[in-house]
Amino acid sequence: MGSREILTLQFGHYSNYVGTHWWNVQEQGFEYDSSSSSEIDHDVLYREGLTEKNEVTFTPRLLFVDLKGSLKSLPESGNLYAPNFNDPSAEWDPDLVTVKTEPVNNKNQFQQDLDSSACKNIHRNAYDFEKDVSVWSDFLYTRFHPRSVNIIREYQHCNENTPFDVFPLGTSLWKSPQFDDDFCNKIRSYVEECDSFQASDLEIGFHMLTDCTNAFAGLSSSCVEHLKDDYDKSALLIFPVMPSYFPDRVTSVEERYQSLANDSVRVLNMALGFSAFSEHASLFVPLSVGSKGWRKPGPKRQFDLVEYDHELPYHSSALLASALETFSLKYRLKSSHFTLTDLCADLNRNGRRAAAASLKLPFSLNGSADLLDCLDKWQGPLTQSITPSCEIGSENLIQYITLRGIKEEQLKQPPHLAQKQLKLPAYKCDSIASMLNMYLAYSTDFSISNVTAVNKPLNVATPYPRIFQAAAGRQANVSTRAVPEFGQENVPVLAGLHNGPPIGDMLESLYTETKRIKFAKFPQFIAGGMESEEYEECLNTLSTLRENYVDDYVI
Amino acid sequence: MAISLLNPKAEVARAAQALAVNITAAKGLQDVMKSNLGPKGTVKMLVSGAGDIKITKDGNVLLHEMQIQHPTASLIARASTAQDDSTGDGTTSTVLVIGELLKQADIYISEGLHPRIITEGFDKAREKALEVLEKIKIPVEINKENLTDICKTSLRTKMFVLMLYWLLKKDDKPVDLYMIELMEMQHKTETDTKLIKGLVLDHGSRHPDMPKSLRNCYILTCNVSMEYEKSEVNSGFFYKTAEEREKMVSAEREFITQRVKKVIALKKSLCDGTDKTFVVINQKGIDPMSLDMLAKEGIIALRRAKRRNMERLALACGGIAVNSFDDLQESHLGQAGYVYEHVLGENKYTFVEDCKVPQSVTILMKGPNKHTLMQIKDAIRDGLRAINNVIEDKAVVPGAAAFEVTVNRELLAFKDTVKGKSRLGVAAYAEAMLIIPKTLAVNSGFDVQDTIVKLQEESRLNPEPVGLDLTSGEPINPKDAGIFRQLHSQEADHQLVLGDCQQFITRG
Repeated sequence: MGSREILTLQFGHYSNYVGTHWWNVQEQGFEYDSSSSSEIDHDVLYREGLTEKNEVTFTPRLLFVDLKGSLKSLPESGNLYAPNFNDPSAEWDPDLVTVKTEPVNNKNQFQQDLDSSACKNIHRNAYDFEKDVSVWSDFLYTRFHPRSVNIIREYQHCNENTPFDVFPLGTSLWKSPQFDDDFCNKIRSYVEECDSFQASDLEIGFHMLTDCTNAFAGLSSSCVEHLKDDYDKSALLIFPVMPSYFPDRVTSVEERYQSLANDSVRVLNMALGFSAFSEHASLFVPLSVGSKGWRKPGPKRQFDLVEYDHELPYHSSALLASALETFSLKYRLKSSHFTLTDLCADLNRNGRRAAAASLKLPFSLNGSADLLDCLDKWQGPLTQSITPSCEIGSENLIQYITLRGIKEEQLKQPPHLAQKQLKLPAYKCDSIASMLNMYLAYSTDFSISNVTAVNKPLNVATPYPRIFQAAAGRQANVSTRAVPEFGQENVPVLAGLHNGPPIGDMLESLYTETKRIKFAKFPQFIAGGMESEEYEECLNTLSTLRENYVDDYVI
Repeated sequence: MAISLLNPKAEVARAAQALAVNITAAKGLQDVMKSNLGPKGTVKMLVSGAGDIKITKDGNVLLHEMQIQHPTASLIARASTAQDDSTGDGTTSTVLVIGELLKQADIYISEGLHPRIITEGFDKAREKALEVLEKIKIPVEINKENLTDICKTSLRTKMFVLMLYWLLKKDDKPVDLYMIELMEMQHKTETDTKLIKGLVLDHGSRHPDMPKSLRNCYILTCNVSMEYEKSEVNSGFFYKTAEEREKMVSAEREFITQRVKKVIALKKSLCDGTDKTFVVINQKGIDPMSLDMLAKEGIIALRRAKRRNMERLALACGGIAVNSFDDLQESHLGQAGYVYEHVLGENKYTFVEDCKVPQSVTILMKGPNKHTLMQIKDAIRDGLRAINNVIEDKAVVPGAAAFEVTVNRELLAFKDTVKGKSRLGVAAYAEAMLIIPKTLAVNSGFDVQDTIVKLQEESRLNPEPVGLDLTSGEPINPKDAGIFRQLHSQEADHQLVLGDCQQFITRG
């Protein structure tokens, strides 16, 4: 078994929303039945551990960072490695101890049910997550290793007096001993324990999910620099995520000014983050369900058969997580030796270090009986872009597409029933991958596509939000909770990573937006220790990066 | 309206009102922190909403843990924690003094005195206070007894002093605190915390056949990759067949094998026929095939060591960290008497002990649970900083509030020489100084007025600094009782406190 471990880093609250959904869907998809072996190599993202009580654990190879007060009912020590706890006040002379207890954060119904092992029908119970979820740990299904938890004590979640809002706050926080020492050490010990039995595949890669609209952009930029210094041979794939909704109130003139200023601060953070990522990361893929992304998230992306509320991070992050889970399968399959390094090396040719992602959720066969029929009748683009200000198009692309959840039986009709299908050239294809590859070869120009097909569909059981329309169940192949007769809660998904000229346009639009901002009007940045030269430099980096996407005179 | 454009939610407060707001905030913070001061202060146990526990008496830790909503309060908190970062001490007293200064200033301002005049007085008072500090500081010779005394007031743990002293025997330079590794182990109890004259690494060898302990070891510290690294062209679009790929891989692999062989050759030439053994500690990775080769030779190999540990290793065992295996010689190697591995659940620890002339050591902190470990860690960090400051200053200040009492006396005398209304500022400053002995008295259960009167009287009669004995409530000479504080924290206290107060008072 080749191993190619990946360490995942999550910076910021929205990233953690996405991350939580991602770990949830993975864990829901675990097969505990030893008779059928899984297609997916879970050791890539997970690790095996041992508690003090000699219980074996299987936890995400993950480090996440969030602000104080954002965990709510999740204890910092995690709940797997909790020591047999005796009241610590007993060790002290009661006269000398003052006990201050914060109001206990009551766990919501879902977390309570998870704790009581007797309750087995979690998937069947109805939880009102839409109202109930205020932080990501409310719908967390996964259990974390205590090492994964990193809480920033200097800033508080949702505190207006000490906001963690501008880039330089993050970069200076990185220099504090908590990060410079402890956090780096945690990265190191994860890397240290990674091992493989086939030297030819020895590798550790890094995934990083990071908020890029606030100071976490600065924190992650510094972290990226550190990773580059210490693990220069490792692949580093960054997903800057942007929420699709900001709760800015605009009811008076002042609030309008404030909201405009907030927008500018966000754009500056993004621009500074992107320029740092482009210098040190192997590849970065901005993700958001908002179509514009920069100043305002813009109208939400529409997905057929899906109805979601983009104002709820609980909903929007689920979509992003589905895409992540799907296209990352490319380097997480047991059957191939493909690694994250390979992926990054292919996608970042010519210094094109920014890429786009797309998603088709659910991938329904649109009432057709098989994939061949479905593709034959397909109208419009195959997938919906989930990278802001970027429409992927169909020319000059280099792309990795992953399709999951379509069974081989659904490929085409058997010869005796095929009738018209026999005449189609694609009838010759005898695997899903080759058929989709053929489709892409015909539908895109001057492009290289690599298709991976996986049998296992995406598991969307609770706590995944119920965002599928009732119709999704009836149209062949998409089975959801909405139609209980299908029983299973799985959907087929198509997702891809793309690189090509449209990403240049995305960078162009970010560059223009950033340039319009008068940096001097935002003293927070200077006060945080940044200089205006850094801002100029960031603009330069963005424009250089943008030039890598111009194809016209590269023959 | 300028300010409301910047932040529409900002409340506009001016002059008197602003001062009132600032004072309330400072007082509030003062009330919370009061009970921590001094050895008789109470310990606080904080339980978070999710059940996380923290036990502390350290003002710095408390301020970090508190959820401070008030902007002024959070400014004070930041100023105080900044002080702690450099001196490791004095957070609580900073907060107390800031609060008290504002309180005293308020009395005069409400009578119509202009804030500027008060701050003028504060300025003068501060200069005087620093003069007094210079006068009463006691130069110390850096030796074991003196350091032990200082540590007793800063933290009641002697072990670290011994260690530092022992480290210092070589020369008089201040200790580079980075050369002391702090390692935590969730194991046994806090009393098992000890000093290791060598290094403890938080990882072990990753090969089942490697020896678990070795004696008489050569230590090779290196920063050389011993793992196969994939070349970038090795990607999906370029290889048609698996064989093609394997060929490329084995060619690359050979390169690494050569490196490992060099280490093995050195080991053979040095250790064969003797009772010596060999340990490799690498900052870069070592892949399983290389580990296997090394294991066959009975070598312990550790990969991915901390960068800082590379320096520490060289200091602890001698030798130098090498960046390449060309021209490896015996002189590059360090030596240690005993190297062994300790396994605790999923965590492994490697001890490199019995070094000949260790210049770098490890404090191994043990505790049954996370919060105990945190507590020990905070205490040790502060203690180390305190001692280091003393070594740098080569001087200490008498403790037990003696300094504050003396400043109070001197300022009251100085007040009469100041012309004009700014003398009121000096008076306020003098009064504010007494908050420290007052709080100490309250925390120890003595009557405040009684104590202060006794102290002031004694101070007038006695040219020596007079402090408060917390067990009897009587005045004592802290020098005789062996109670000292570090000069650094006192000095910083006054510089910092004042800057803040002036801002708070005059703003608006």
